Amino acid sequence: MYPFGDLPGNLAAFCGQLRRQHGFRLGAGELRDAARALDVIELADERHVRDALRAILSSSRDTALTFDEAFDKFFFPGPEGVPQTGMPGPARRDQRPGTDGTEEGRQRPVGDRHAETDLDEDVAGGAGQVVMGDDAATVDEQAVRIARATYSPFAAEGRASLHLSPVQAEWREAARALLRRLHLGLSRRWRPGRRGRRFDLRRTWRASLQTGGEALTARWLRRVRRSPRFVLLIDGSRSMGRADTPALDLAVAIASVTTRIEVFAFSTALQAITNQVRRAAAGRAVDVELAREAWGGGTNIGASLQSFLRRHGERHVGRDTLVMILSDGLDVGEPDILRAAMRELHRQSAGVVWLNPLLETPGFEPTSRGMVAAWPFITTFSSVSNPTGLNRLSRLIRLR
Amino acid sequence: MTSAADIRTRFRERGFVVDDAFATALEIMQALQKPLLIEGPAGVGKTESAKVLAEVLDTRLIRLQCYEGLDAMSALYEWNYPRQMLHARLSETSGASFEQREAEIFSETYLLKRPLLEALTQDQSPVLLIDEVDRADEAFEAYLLEVLAEWQVTIPELGTIRASHRPHVILTSNRTRELSDALRRRCLFLWLPYPSLDQEMEILRARVPGLSERLADRIAHLMQVLRGLPLQKAPGVAESLDWAMALMSLHREHLDTRTLEQTLGCVLKVHEDRAVVEAHRQAIAPYLSDSPPPVEAGGYGLDTDFGIGSVTRR
Repeated sequence: MYPFGDLPGNLAAFCGQLRRQHGFRLGAGELRDAARALDVIELADERHVRDALRAILSSSRDTALTFDEAFDKFFFPGPEGVPQTGMPGPARRDQRPGTDGTEEGRQRPVGDRHAETDLDEDVAGGAGQVVMGDDAATVDEQAVRIARATYSPFAAEGRASLHLSPVQAEWREAARALLRRLHLGLSRRWRPGRRGRRFDLRRTWRASLQTGGEALTARWLRRVRRSPRFVLLIDGSRSMGRADTPALDLAVAIASVTTRIEVFAFSTALQAITNQVRRAAAGRAVDVELAREAWGGGTNIGASLQSFLRRHGERHVGRDTLVMILSDGLDVGEPDILRAAMRELHRQSAGVVWLNPLLETPGFEPTSRGMVAAWPFITTFSSVSNPTGLNRLSRLIRLR
Repeated sequence: MTSAADIRTRFRERGFVVDDAFATALEIMQALQKPLLIEGPAGVGKTESAKVLAEVLDTRLIRLQCYEGLDAMSALYEWNYPRQMLHARLSETSGASFEQREAEIFSETYLLKRPLLEALTQDQSPVLLIDEVDRADEAFEAYLLEVLAEWQVTIPELGTIRASHRPHVILTSNRTRELSDALRRRCLFLWLPYPSLDQEMEILRARVPGLSERLADRIAHLMQVLRGLPLQKAPGVAESLDWAMALMSLHREHLDTRTLEQTLGCVLKVHEDRAVVEAHRQAIAPYLSDSPPPVEAGGYGLDTDFGIGSVTRR
């Protein structure tokens, strides 16, 4: 039943599997704690062991929610499952759906379904392995027919490759200027400074020890300026065409001057590309493999923003967040969904900047359905195609 | 206190319902002497659990409420400068050597202990609650790391103070910002979601003793439905308890449409959410007893002259 004969061996193997297959961050410390915990608790009680290991080995909501599945898969591997053949469909899922009946479990608005079903589809497969047997060819024709029948303007199949070039000096300078110009007021934290508004008794007193208890030089405290967090939502749909290159350059440029940035690509569904953008910002050319739902498919801005808010809003959007949406606003979803999502983004953030590459076209008016729906909630509407454009933008942005 | 079952019973005695996962996490936390980080939506009892733990262990609860701008001086320690200066002035003519005077000035007498240091210097392991740690600045997490990993605080003038009795540490977070991996790795982790239907019933029974079974059932069911709606601010356990209390104090035995409208303020805290609930009437309807509200001054009240009439006759 178990891959190893002894408990420590199994525990180590389980940790290894969590690390490799489920993205847990585990080191020797966690393994030692787990072993110590198994010493304390009732080993015969499976639930008890499971709860204890979950508390020790998981470190965030996502890992805590995937833990049970991984635990079952390792300690109670079921039968291999009936081989499934020939059905077309995406092979990966990057976001795990909520199993606790909280946020993700909530009823979704109608339009949102399109965005998420594609990514969640293979959940039903569970531990069963997809095996491409010999009989795959015979059902091939039928599969094509099914694929055609399930075509929708939202869906796109296969994968897209996305190239992130390393940051260039001009972009970096422009991003630095942007960061310098963006004010969020003063933090409530006091820091020592040469000049400040509050007398620093502690440091003055410490300094006075050098002069025999006489305070000769006054020390001061000042408030530090708060810099905003950034969330970039980049439209990767076909309609954006080549206009997405400056959008990616912009993301990489901002990531090269601040770590407080999250980047997401969306087309009909959302995918985080923050890590890859950070790598590009560190000076490496990065090729990103993305699902077609996130890059190069149709456009469903409203649903993508909704799913962003639901999955990541809590953590990444606050009163100190500047949300930048880089999109042409040609939305095929329901305008109501886009309007509701924009209202939420506007309410929760320090400002919503919409960068529309079409603005570069002479005579462009933002009259598309999507743009009209989003319009009341945009604090700054502009476009950026080069570092000069970013410099101009940094003078335009007003934060709350 | 050792086993998870024991923890469950003793929490239950104090009106706090914990599930197996929570009880086990508390057990492990004490066995491994590691801090426990609890994340979850607002109003599911994260803070309350620390208070109850302190009661159960019969020990002191030391609370550090985090906020933006919280610094080491308000969390760890501060010197009492006025007293130090006074002492320095008074001891000027005492003839003591400089080293002696310095040692006196920077002694524990002049140290103001803030919550973290306070927790390390207790005679019995206290419960240290670091509440809403996500509200503090990222820089503040660095201060916490030394305390949580080494159970010690370094004061330059005084040296390192080690905990004689390690505190039981509970950190809570509402996930308004991502906590650093370094902090997470030093903690056990517990995700505390909204309670299930049965758990919520149990909580209502434990916390609102006079509540009828039928009403508790209705409230718990409605809460499940409400949390399923796309609300801006989903109601937590605190809200359902408030609601139960409100219904009790209004002497309502049934939950009908009118009562719901009157008391919805206990549950929904954002104006827009009312419109959402209005739009999802159909989802809620099955859980309302749609009997009309009782007529108050009807029937026999007006016909009899019991009262004013009989007084005038006398």
